[in-house]
Amino acid sequence: MLASLILIPLAVALAIVVLPAASARAAALLGTLAAAAMTVVALVQFDWTQGGLMQFLTTKEWLPSLGINLSFGADSISMLMIALTALLGPICVLASWTAITERVKTFYAWLLILQAAMVGVFVARDLIFFYICFEFTLIPMYVLISLYGSTNRKRAATTFFLYTFTGSVITLAGLAYVAYFNSTLPVETFAGAGTWTFDIDVLEKAAANQMSLSQQSVVLLALLCGFAVKVPLFPVHTWLPLAHTEAPTAGSVILAGVLLKLGTYGIYRFALGYTPDAFVYYAPVIATLCIIGILYGGLICWVQTDVKKLVAYSSVAHLGFCVLGLAALNHTGIQGSILYMINHGLSTGALFLLIGFMYERYHTRNMKEIGGLAAKMPIWATFMVFFVMASVGLPGLNGFVSEFLCLFGTFQASDQWSSGIWGSEKASTIGATVGKLGPWYAAVAALGVIIAAMYLLIMVGKVVFGPLKEPGGHDAHGGHGGGHGGGHGGGHGSDSHTHLPADLTAREITALVPLALACLIFGVYPKPLFDALKEPVDDTVKWVHKIEAPALPEGNVNPNMIGSAEAVTPVANAVSNVQEIAR
Amino acid sequence: MLTSDSLLTLGAATAAKAPIIAGDPLALLIPAMPILGVIICTLCGIFGVRNKLPAFATVLCLAVSFAVTAKLFMGHDGGVSIATGFEWMSLAWGEGQGQRLVADFSLYLDSLTILWMLFVTGLATLIALYASEYMSHDVGLGYCRFFAAFNLFVFSMACLVMGDNMLLLFLGWEGVGLCSYLLIGYFYKKPSAVAAAKKAFIMNRIGDVGLILGVMLTFVHFGSIEYREIFAACQPYIDLAKAGKFNEIPAIVQLIPILLAVGAFGKSAQLPLYVWLPDAMEGPTPVSALIHAATMVTAGVYLVARTYPLFLLSEYALPIVAWTGALTALVAATIGMAQFDIKRIMAYSTVSQLGYMFAGLGVLTSTGAAFHVVTHAFFKALLFLSCGAIMHGFAGQLDLRKLSGVGFMKGWGVVGLGMFVGCMNLAGFPFTAGYFSKDMILAEAFVTPGMAPIGWILLLTAGMTAYYTFRVFFRVVVGPMHYEPGDELHHAEDDSHGHGHGHHDAPAADAAHASDAAHGHSHTHDDHAHHEHGHGAHFHPHAPGWAINTVLATLSVLSIAAAGLYFVKSPYAGGHAHGGAVPGMVERSSAAFETPFSHHGAGGAGGESHDTIKEGGHEGADGKAPTHAAAGAPSFVPTAIAKAHGAEAHAGSFFGYDPHKAMYYVSGVVGFVGIFIAFILHYAGRRTAATARADALLPAVGPLAGWAQNKWYVDEFYDFLIRKPLWFFSNVFYIFDKLVIDGLVRLVGGIPRFIGAMVRPTQSGELHGYAAGMAAGVAVLLFLVFILTMR
Repeated sequence: MLASLILIPLAVALAIVVLPAASARAAALLGTLAAAAMTVVALVQFDWTQGGLMQFLTTKEWLPSLGINLSFGADSISMLMIALTALLGPICVLASWTAITERVKTFYAWLLILQAAMVGVFVARDLIFFYICFEFTLIPMYVLISLYGSTNRKRAATTFFLYTFTGSVITLAGLAYVAYFNSTLPVETFAGAGTWTFDIDVLEKAAANQMSLSQQSVVLLALLCGFAVKVPLFPVHTWLPLAHTEAPTAGSVILAGVLLKLGTYGIYRFALGYTPDAFVYYAPVIATLCIIGILYGGLICWVQTDVKKLVAYSSVAHLGFCVLGLAALNHTGIQGSILYMINHGLSTGALFLLIGFMYERYHTRNMKEIGGLAAKMPIWATFMVFFVMASVGLPGLNGFVSEFLCLFGTFQASDQWSSGIWGSEKASTIGATVGKLGPWYAAVAALGVIIAAMYLLIMVGKVVFGPLKEPGGHDAHGGHGGGHGGGHGGGHGSDSHTHLPADLTAREITALVPLALACLIFGVYPKPLFDALKEPVDDTVKWVHKIEAPALPEGNVNPNMIGSAEAVTPVANAVSNVQEIAR
Repeated sequence: MLTSDSLLTLGAATAAKAPIIAGDPLALLIPAMPILGVIICTLCGIFGVRNKLPAFATVLCLAVSFAVTAKLFMGHDGGVSIATGFEWMSLAWGEGQGQRLVADFSLYLDSLTILWMLFVTGLATLIALYASEYMSHDVGLGYCRFFAAFNLFVFSMACLVMGDNMLLLFLGWEGVGLCSYLLIGYFYKKPSAVAAAKKAFIMNRIGDVGLILGVMLTFVHFGSIEYREIFAACQPYIDLAKAGKFNEIPAIVQLIPILLAVGAFGKSAQLPLYVWLPDAMEGPTPVSALIHAATMVTAGVYLVARTYPLFLLSEYALPIVAWTGALTALVAATIGMAQFDIKRIMAYSTVSQLGYMFAGLGVLTSTGAAFHVVTHAFFKALLFLSCGAIMHGFAGQLDLRKLSGVGFMKGWGVVGLGMFVGCMNLAGFPFTAGYFSKDMILAEAFVTPGMAPIGWILLLTAGMTAYYTFRVFFRVVVGPMHYEPGDELHHAEDDSHGHGHGHHDAPAADAAHASDAAHGHSHTHDDHAHHEHGHGAHFHPHAPGWAINTVLATLSVLSIAAAGLYFVKSPYAGGHAHGGAVPGMVERSSAAFETPFSHHGAGGAGGESHDTIKEGGHEGADGKAPTHAAAGAPSFVPTAIAKAHGAEAHAGSFFGYDPHKAMYYVSGVVGFVGIFIAFILHYAGRRTAATARADALLPAVGPLAGWAQNKWYVDEFYDFLIRKPLWFFSNVFYIFDKLVIDGLVRLVGGIPRFIGAMVRPTQSGELHGYAAGMAAGVAVLLFLVFILTMR
């Protein structure tokens, strides 16, 4: 089942290589639609009542001498990420329909291979397979940027590749060390210990339960080298604006939509899974980096003149919220963070699409050259305002749900609530959880919400509203549109560049509508997502805070706070589940 | 008496007990109908409808909402019920208290929500009808866009007011902000409109952050953000507050209302976040009337009233609210006195009147504040719509120096009447609705100990209000007939509409004004209304049609009739009658200043019986001191306790008279004085539109008039103090990002590259192999390091 989700795009990619160039995009569309259909089948077959359970598990021996297997499996988080990937597939093909006119076969083939690799990351249950897929995503992306990007594409592609590759090699070292550590354990420790294996679950037990804090800390650092670059967290974010700005539209959409999420997904799976003690210990540091990213990234957005670069930097700020939720290490924060991964993919992906559509018509992204497009492109403008609002975090749209939960989780997660902040030692703080962040982190991060409104609305004010300004007769002949090739002869006005009408075509609207619907539905009725994620997130919270056996509470004490002040191991509030039953 | 120890377990003990009374599911239609309106308008836009269908669909949908609200009102017994919708943001991570975030799409129905929705839906229906004519130049896509946003606004407002939890309130809160953004920026080609829209949204967001943090803190403490649970859990604290034992109420609880107040100040344009509201007048006038005068801006007042039990728990929250309100009222009034744009004057008067409402809340007359919200909604909407009719008819002219005697021109009678009724109300002329509601606030300010300075500020403001209100009236509505058309910016989208409006660019109009009467383009108006303008353009004032006139007449009647609310008894049996129907409704809700749910079972009445609860209100002043005065209350007694205990209540007096009675006369006199000054300065002996006797006073006030006209340079101050430094630092960050952070990475990345170049001078350029080789080397190295160090 899951293998087919990888194999379909690969097969279609192969077909594209074989088939004539003229049919490449049609084949790509069919292929991505087929993969999407298969994903729908998988989503239907998935047992959502047991979201925390790895389902569709299959294992095939690959290199048994090294303990490497091909093993797949997905819990509800993986399924949602796969669904996002599958949704963006056909949308990217539609978005590239007219924009890519040269070397079409190469483009679509790599696009599909990229999709296969991304799905591979989400379904992998073997560390080596995970890592291969994780790294392999770099190559298609490198090709997409370096062949189909704009002016500065070569440099952007190289920076992107080297930067993320270097980081993730260190991650590999960390993961390999975990495998080695497991092989040195006495066999009787637990099932799977003492053997040379790369099974994700086995290694998780080994690392989380057997490693010392200092060992975990080093592994965590190694993991973050790769994953934090991918996210990207401040201060290792500088590859992102460059790569985003230069990438073709489909590349930006995939990059923002899914590739960045590989980083947060990695942090969730491995940093929380393998090194929970270290992550708990260093959560304030990670949260601080996130908050710096939120504010710093947001303020930099404000001074951008290139629309695409603005949205790219906004990803730095947005993903700061996402990782901040993870660092809260409570149910609200982690759930918010996972939803953030999906929601950011939808809304920022859509923003990149819209900017791409604009670029295809005007060959500029400079806010000084372009403005007031609402007068010329009302449909485009409507979508733009809609997705900007989703991105700003307007309640009723998807962005709010995840942003609020991330901030709320951060706000709750503080031991200070029980030990005393603002007289709370005398008061009930039943809504709080253990953690090391707390209200000040949330309050400072919440300033990012104001900044987000500032830069996005200023962008809308310039590009969408105001008097119409078109880059008539500018130097469309040369500098711009490098990768778009000679198809655009340059000239005056907008429409002469391409054969596109002034406003969006049916094809472009088709690409946007599913995203818009998803934004609206997940904003108004996020309950299915909450339900789907409840179980795995509960498990993660218990795992991170080492809750195994229920501790019986004494008297009428806040269950969220049990043991937080005095006990050695912190107990998350999920424990009360069991307590209630115990009573 | 509760001790602080027992407070620890308080939430768990009480919160779960609040029973739910199922509300009439019909109530869900109130938000649902505007959503239907949004869908219809969107479909009209998609299918290119080019008639007034969106407007009439809107009017119909909103009328149904209003009818449903009225039905709820008729059948309402004063209790609380909850109409359950669907689950929105409901998240559980355990079974215990405080482990469920419940924020469903459910509606909280009590007298306060019904009161608010009555005037919101009622006014929205009327203003939609007005807008059907006002926006008729834009029939087509713009018309659909306008009414879609209009409907969305009413939906958001319904969520804000009726939501049964703070997060649904927040949805409405930001939703109205969005609609405000879309509608202020309706004329999106006009840079000033776009800037104003942006400013409104961002300023509101600042407040919103305070609000959302307040919501989070509420959850952390109470373990719920549903009103009924919060209010139930508040009960023991209220007993402490009544006893004046604020030091036993944890700071964490006292912080909640202060955070909520920040949100309220943003939305309701109070100091220091008020500067967006005057700029919001860039929007079409029906929007100004509905959103920026009558309904949305009162959301902050609603928030405070709704969460009044929380505000009572803080030693400082209500004084902060009172002082902010009073100072805002004063500052806005000074600016309003110096403006020339009549819509701006109305905008500042809105800010000022909102300040009144907050001051009312702060001096413990939530009933008076709510009464003022209701009366203000009607007369301010009326004033705005009258101004809008003038603007519509005179090609965007709003300068009071360029319009005169409009009320006597042919076809403008209803507008003149509307202006008159509105101005009388706003000025607080005796026996108007505005007079009664303002009086309630003023009187309570003097009754509440320690709040007399606020009373004086408000009294001064009342005089200024009367002056600037009638300044507009005497300049624009009466006096010699004269007009100059405006520059018609609001019709910029459609140059060819058939109303014969000429084109008048602003500089030309200014020049015309400067050269004044002598050149003959400032001659008095004749009934043919053929105005030979100095620049040769023909201009024909465009008197309002049936829709506008109907709405203005209705609102005039309602504004007058609103005074009757003061004399009508509370709609609920056994209610306290003072102040009439509106206070009668408010005191049945959580906004009643002592205890939430004091009469009805839905909340945690917690054993408090009817008679001990509602004593404080106005009895204290009437001499019927409640008998349960606490001994040993601290010497600094914040407002809440003072009112709750009769012994203290006598402290408030107005020169030895009962403020309630004295204010009837004092505020009436103050209003008269203001009107009289306006009469002398702006009407008596005035022969032209442009100049009046007031101009002679300008040298006397020195630069003050200019400063006030420039809004005390607050915008410039913010720009200089906040925006510019932030902009500077953002640029610094960007450069830092490019040079330092990226540079460091480049440097680190350059080392292996450099070595690689040394080792392999003839680089193949094969990036993959090169990078992979490098990376593999690093990996092996690190792996060794791990193994060696970690043993």
